[in-house]
Amino acid sequence: MASSLPAAPAAATRHFADDLRQRSDTALAALLRARPDLAAPSPSTLRSLAARASSRTSLERALARVDALTLQVLEAVLALEPVFRPVPERSGPREAQETPPDEATGTAPLAGPLSVDVVTWALGGSAEDLPRVVAAVGLAVEQALLWDAGGQHGAALDLRTVPGLDELLGPNPAGLGPHLDPVPDGLPEAVGHALGSAPGRTETAVALDKLLAQAPPGARAILDALAWGPPVGVVPPAGSRPRDAVNWLVTAHLLVRSDARHVVLPRLVGLALRDGHTHREPRTLPPEPQGRAVHTTTADAEAASAALELVRRVRLLRQAWDENPPSVLRAGGLGVRDLRRVATQLETDEQATAFVVEVAALAGLVRDDGDAPPSYVPTVTDWDDLDDAARWARLVEAWLVSRRAPWLVGSRDDKGALRAPLSPDLQRPWVPRLRAGVLGVLAGEPAGDTVVAPASEAVVEVLTWHTPRSIPPASAVEGLLAEAEWLGVTGAGALSTPGRALVLSRPDGSDAQVAPVNRASDPSGDGGPAGALRAVLPHEVDEILLQGDLTGIVPGRPSRDLARLLDRSTDVESRGAATTVRFSPASVTRALDQGETADGMLDELAHRSPVPVPQPLEYLIRDTARRHGAVRVGAASSYLRAADATVLAGLEHDPTLVGLNLVRLAPTVLAASVPAATLHEALRKRGLVSALEGSDGRVLVARKGVTGRAMPAPRSAAAIRTGTGSDVAGRAPDPEALVAELRAVEDAARAGARARADAAEVARSVATSGGGVPMRGYRVVAGVPSTEPKREGPRPGALEPLAAADAPRLDRAVTPVPAIGTDPPDDDAGTQHPADGLALLRDALRDGSTVIVEVAGHTGRLERRELKPLNLDGGRLRALDPDREAELTIAVHRIAAVLPTSPAP
Amino acid sequence: MPDGPLIVQSDKTLLLEVDHPSAEQARRSIAPFAELERAPEHVHTYRLTALGLWNARAAGHDAEQVVSTLIEFSRYPVPHALLVDVAETMARYGRLQLVQDPAHGLVLRSTDRAVLAEVLKSRRTAGLVGERLDDATVAVHPSERGHLKQVLVKLGWPAEDLAGYVDGEKHPIELNHTTEPRTSHEKASAWEMRPYQAQAVDGFWHGGSGVVVLPCGAGKTIVGAGAMAKSGTTTLILVTNTVSARQWRDELVRRTSLTEDEIGEYSGARKEIKPVTIATYQVLTTKRKGVYTHLELLDARDWGLVLYDEVHLLPAPVFRMTANLQARRRLGLTATLVREDGREDEVFSLIGPKRFDAPWKDIEAQGYIAPADCVEVRLTLPESERMTYATAEMEDKYRLAASASGKKKVVEQIVARHPDDQVLVIGQYIDQLEELAEHLGAPIITGATTNKERQRLFGAFREGEISRLVVSKVANYSVDLPEASVAVQVSGSFGSRQEEAQRLGRIMRPKADGRTAHFYAVVARDTVDQDFAAHRQRFLAEQGYAYRIVDAEDLDESPADSSAL
Repeated sequence: MASSLPAAPAAATRHFADDLRQRSDTALAALLRARPDLAAPSPSTLRSLAARASSRTSLERALARVDALTLQVLEAVLALEPVFRPVPERSGPREAQETPPDEATGTAPLAGPLSVDVVTWALGGSAEDLPRVVAAVGLAVEQALLWDAGGQHGAALDLRTVPGLDELLGPNPAGLGPHLDPVPDGLPEAVGHALGSAPGRTETAVALDKLLAQAPPGARAILDALAWGPPVGVVPPAGSRPRDAVNWLVTAHLLVRSDARHVVLPRLVGLALRDGHTHREPRTLPPEPQGRAVHTTTADAEAASAALELVRRVRLLRQAWDENPPSVLRAGGLGVRDLRRVATQLETDEQATAFVVEVAALAGLVRDDGDAPPSYVPTVTDWDDLDDAARWARLVEAWLVSRRAPWLVGSRDDKGALRAPLSPDLQRPWVPRLRAGVLGVLAGEPAGDTVVAPASEAVVEVLTWHTPRSIPPASAVEGLLAEAEWLGVTGAGALSTPGRALVLSRPDGSDAQVAPVNRASDPSGDGGPAGALRAVLPHEVDEILLQGDLTGIVPGRPSRDLARLLDRSTDVESRGAATTVRFSPASVTRALDQGETADGMLDELAHRSPVPVPQPLEYLIRDTARRHGAVRVGAASSYLRAADATVLAGLEHDPTLVGLNLVRLAPTVLAASVPAATLHEALRKRGLVSALEGSDGRVLVARKGVTGRAMPAPRSAAAIRTGTGSDVAGRAPDPEALVAELRAVEDAARAGARARADAAEVARSVATSGGGVPMRGYRVVAGVPSTEPKREGPRPGALEPLAAADAPRLDRAVTPVPAIGTDPPDDDAGTQHPADGLALLRDALRDGSTVIVEVAGHTGRLERRELKPLNLDGGRLRALDPDREAELTIAVHRIAAVLPTSPAP
Repeated sequence: MPDGPLIVQSDKTLLLEVDHPSAEQARRSIAPFAELERAPEHVHTYRLTALGLWNARAAGHDAEQVVSTLIEFSRYPVPHALLVDVAETMARYGRLQLVQDPAHGLVLRSTDRAVLAEVLKSRRTAGLVGERLDDATVAVHPSERGHLKQVLVKLGWPAEDLAGYVDGEKHPIELNHTTEPRTSHEKASAWEMRPYQAQAVDGFWHGGSGVVVLPCGAGKTIVGAGAMAKSGTTTLILVTNTVSARQWRDELVRRTSLTEDEIGEYSGARKEIKPVTIATYQVLTTKRKGVYTHLELLDARDWGLVLYDEVHLLPAPVFRMTANLQARRRLGLTATLVREDGREDEVFSLIGPKRFDAPWKDIEAQGYIAPADCVEVRLTLPESERMTYATAEMEDKYRLAASASGKKKVVEQIVARHPDDQVLVIGQYIDQLEELAEHLGAPIITGATTNKERQRLFGAFREGEISRLVVSKVANYSVDLPEASVAVQVSGSFGSRQEEAQRLGRIMRPKADGRTAHFYAVVARDTVDQDFAAHRQRFLAEQGYAYRIVDAEDLDESPADSSAL
């Protein structure tokens, strides 16, 4: 809504807003930290902060993060608050004005405060649970999901839910029906007693028994059936015995007819039946993750081999892509065929390969070369110079903060297209949070001799406790667990020691926004994940047992030098705790190709073998070396041959022909590195009458443009360097600075409070007179209100254009705060937020009071009506117009402004 | 054990360090479930396979034992996935059982209904099973017992065959513990079964049916005789060829209470059916007008035991026939379960699981087979032959290389180095062999030689009347030449590994004076001959027989005996 809502303080938000206002700066900063969406874009006043904090979207986000206990607390408070009278505020601006028991609060039969003790009891908890409930309440208050209606420092909290929470948690919190009048005798006292002190059990039972003393048979059974919800029952057919019981219960106000076919159990009756509890028992602790117990040594050994394997695969990937860079798909990502090829080279399946590719890219080890058309190439980095543990640390640290979901590779998106590795399609902002959650579950068990390896279902179960309103998809959890296994963060499904070190190295791993890849982590030091991995890696072995069947066995992890030697001169047959290699003519040839000599190899092998080099192996190496190089191959672009060797004599060293790079291959043959045509011309110039020859050896008739194909320039990845470029995420505004600004605005607003009250008074008079004239002090904006629904309330003066700009820039834009204070006629500008209007509507709904609503009519003209809201849902407001005694439905986007009917105190 | 002798790799290979103090103990513990793949000098490689694990299950070992053995001897933590896999694989055996139901006859019963449902759903079992009797039982046509077992192994749910065996026709057979002298200058001597032979017989008998793996020269015939004595029933013995059949007959007459009259030969030449009948694979697989003409042999008597010699050579039609013999006890004898055609699983399902296995080296160490010294002699071809070779068609290359003229001289040299030994010259190509025979002045046995002549020559060689013999591949199997101590291989059938094993086996019978056996392979350098030789030798090296490579030119300087090195 583009309208600027004239927000006057409303009857119920007032309390919540006051609570916020009375909070300390630290508390407000904590709120902004806990709910970052409140801080971006920056709210201009505390009241708009309060309004935003009670908006549906923000509440949904906040609820998505609360754990099961906190959710229970919220449900309990929500269920209890209609039956608790607020404790009158003993200090503050409204002190003098004792709220009379009006329609809204008059039916609340229980005296407050709705304290933590009450909540604990309501949850079915005992004294031992109290500290946890206190913590949960503290968290909920910090996040402004609960607030203290008492507002008395030192006094017991009188808890209330933030306005708007009831919409999200449904009409029957904790399965309790609505609070309805009249209340059966004795119940309020009994429930109050039950909630007030622990040994009050019998009180409710006694009260109920008393009420049911005259009840027809079956009545109690009906109540018991509805007691734990859902609280709505179907009315039995007329004439039956249950129907009589229902009728009796309705008469006794123990049930209420909600419509012709249904009865509902009133909240207080429900509470009485539940002995004052809202829940059977508090879910104070997350469930223990169930799973096999794995020995730490096993987990570490598995992790070590997984880590080595991953490092090896990334190395192979870089080699493979250096030789043969795959092209980037048009939509980004790696094609299926290239993925399969890499999978074959890495000797693993496509899913694991996709992960290797992703993790290599995350660590900046491979990337798009930016050519046209682009290809993926390895980057130039110091990674290759590190030892295995440090290389692993680079990979795993990059993974820890990644927002990518490689497990989706191979699945299809909405359009039916295959998701490719490295494609932008795999970006998921919630991945770091879920990953931190999963790692948190794994790390939940303290390190010991054995570690639990939870199944993915068990992990989901624990995560469900942590965020019951946002249950993570099982496939994502499985994907993350598989990744952890591939990385060696877990071994045999249990968190390994290096994995634990990784989790501990970044306790706030959840907050990925502020945790870019930490390249500063010491790669060679013994601290951190690298050090932890180094400690569990099998010992390096510098020894190879050579055998007569041309195999060699390294009984452990080969040292770097040994690995290099074996890499060159053997084929690996079996990898694992030990390495089995085989020497073959092909592998020895490869070593010779790379510059080894037979004697060098034999010396080195003899040096590293505790047993003499077997005769067959020695024979193999010498025999292969003997044959190596017997036939040689080279590149030439053209050749020059003559029947008479003397014709060619001297050409090779002729200074005028130096550019041709002539090489004598045989007495009658020279090779050149230039195309045949160039050679031909150069020779002609020198006075040698040459003729061009075709591929079949016959002389060609000279034609124009006979050129050889130029040798393609060798591809080089050297130009591409590792960069962190994309890590610059939008920076959230600093909560402390923001709070300070809000305070400043608040003070300025307070100065003009009087004027505002006056203005409100005028507004009221206008409203009652039914006039539609915009008044001074309220900017009423006509026109189509829905053009910019997402836009925050416009700011006065120069700030206006900035308000619509990108959110991340706002932290710079909020500086000219004084402008607000120096604009007295528009002193309410800061609260001009559509949410304010909605908050007023919501409060009116709750209190059953009326508000003045400005609606854009069909002609675009504003109409002003006093309405009693009945329902606000799905973008529609259903309301009663008391003047006209008519019910009407208004699309919310047509509402330009909502004003309270009474001025603020 | 932090410093165990075993390294368990995640690819299911087990590396056993032989020189480790507890290596022997570890070897004994893993032998029941792991297949020995390579046994070179320092580190032996075993492999865990599904068949191996099922074999272990059949022999009464459970997954827990296997797992704890691995953990006990492993130097490093055992990969977790491997342990899980072992347990899962072993749990697959025996979920299905073939049993005799008193009311319904042969039935397939399952302890796990889902498994039964899975295998019945497969198209492969269609037609092999009859009606579903209840949730966990399905009737099986008795004639399809073998096929069904084959199919179930392929489906990964091997059935445990508890349906028992027919008793067969009784025929008393006893071991005769004093051998008759075969020749005039041999004395009658007392003998007993060697401990491992007795173990093998017990293992087989206890398991009902199965395969006994013993190296050449380790006395498989005696294991066969022992099994027959235990069974005490009429027996059908299937062997590779007629010579072998005669040797079986001779051995049985010497070692058991059987007389020549009780033993029949069913071969191309003779068709006798007696309480103990020895038939050749060849005669069984002879087809006339598309039908096997000698199938009736299998039902000619109520055989109580069927014995398969050289199981690894069992031809495919015999597998099919064996499928119909599932109600009879079956004993397979072989030196190796490795089949060039990869049909190990059929041996498992149709003849039975491995019941006994002992590595060659062990038996050699116990002195039951002769130690051997293997030498590859590399011969450089003369220029002219190299040119011929280089331009020859692919299919001729091996023949050209294998029958290189220079080999003649090399063989001559080798033979000259062993003046006092019984020397066999073995080859593939008849013309080459004939040339060699002529050159060495030695008699020759080929496929064309009559059986009578073969018997005479082998006899003369055994007696020491002739000390040089040139043989073609007919002598590869089951020819007992105990005194042969030098074998020279001039050409082989390409890269066959089991042929190499068999040829080595010719000279492995223990020598009266404990002499070392010598095995020479003459190979033409830089040709396919060399490549094939490498493949064959790999088998020897993997069996722990170190071999040397000597250039033909250096042969004279090289010592004749490796012990002199």
